[in-house]
Amino acid sequence: MSENRVSRRQFLNYTLLGVGGFMAAGMVMPMARFAIDPVLKANAGGDFIATKLKVADITTEPQRIDFKFDQKDGWYESEVTGTAWVYKTEDGEIVALSPVCKHLGCTVDWNADEKNQNMFFCPCHYGLYEKDGTNVPGTPPLAPLDVYPYEEKDGILYLGKAQPKGA
Amino acid sequence: MKWVPTDIGVFEKTPEYVDTAVIPLLPVSFKEGMKDSAAMTEFTTLLTSQLERQLQGRILLIPGLSYLKESRSESLEQLKRWETELLDKQFKHVFAVTSDFDWKQDEGHLKGTLLWLPTLPLQQMDEKTKQSVMEDQVRQLMNLFIQKWREDE
Repeated sequence: MSENRVSRRQFLNYTLLGVGGFMAAGMVMPMARFAIDPVLKANAGGDFIATKLKVADITTEPQRIDFKFDQKDGWYESEVTGTAWVYKTEDGEIVALSPVCKHLGCTVDWNADEKNQNMFFCPCHYGLYEKDGTNVPGTPPLAPLDVYPYEEKDGILYLGKAQPKGA
Repeated sequence: MKWVPTDIGVFEKTPEYVDTAVIPLLPVSFKEGMKDSAAMTEFTTLLTSQLERQLQGRILLIPGLSYLKESRSESLEQLKRWETELLDKQFKHVFAVTSDFDWKQDEGHLKGTLLWLPTLPLQQMDEKTKQSVMEDQVRQLMNLFIQKWREDE
């Protein structure tokens, strides 16, 4: 038999301590969680989504890219395809524009109208935007195209949520 | 624009910009052509909803007109009524989109434009092919719309 046998009193003490500890933790943990809740909140909307486009492949000519992400709309979760027009400016800066026309939400196309070369064109009401997304006065849209914030990770382009220009 | 309150709210504010209505024609059959009619319905629904995404500022997507394939003639009368109603309102163009070939024979009775597109075997394609095939179809359909709009200017 070993020297330090656990006495009945010791055994009960340990058991009580263990159970008490669990109960205390059970009470304190949620409280601590509530206290630091804002830190734990998942960052909804601010996430950057990976596109299939390599940063090195971006040219000065706008190209259309599609990327997929999950969208939660109340209880309905669906996979949504987002689209962006991506190009590099003369200075090498990447620009990612939303294709959604600021007029009534049609999808704009690059260089689609013969009369207006090198412009974004909306087929619905013939809205026009310059290459940098600025709306052409005299056409229906009243604001420039939204801009996607972007990130570069491992040579791949990541896009955030489109924001109004200048915001 | 879709037939949902938010879109209709926008529509009521700017009705002069929305001059085109799209009616998907969706066949339902419980006879031997059950699966075919389901494929047609799926294809037409997919196609029109994608089209709405591209051209949402100018078209109003009416909820699909589903009909029993065997009693299509009743639905023809209904479609005619819808077209009259829509054209009486501010709509200049009414497009009926379907994969059901039977409508072709009644094209002459319609006031609007009937667009018939053959169903594609979407079931047998993987996700990627499906997507690119649908995109092509939508683009072609879009061009038809744009052409029609141009003609009327």
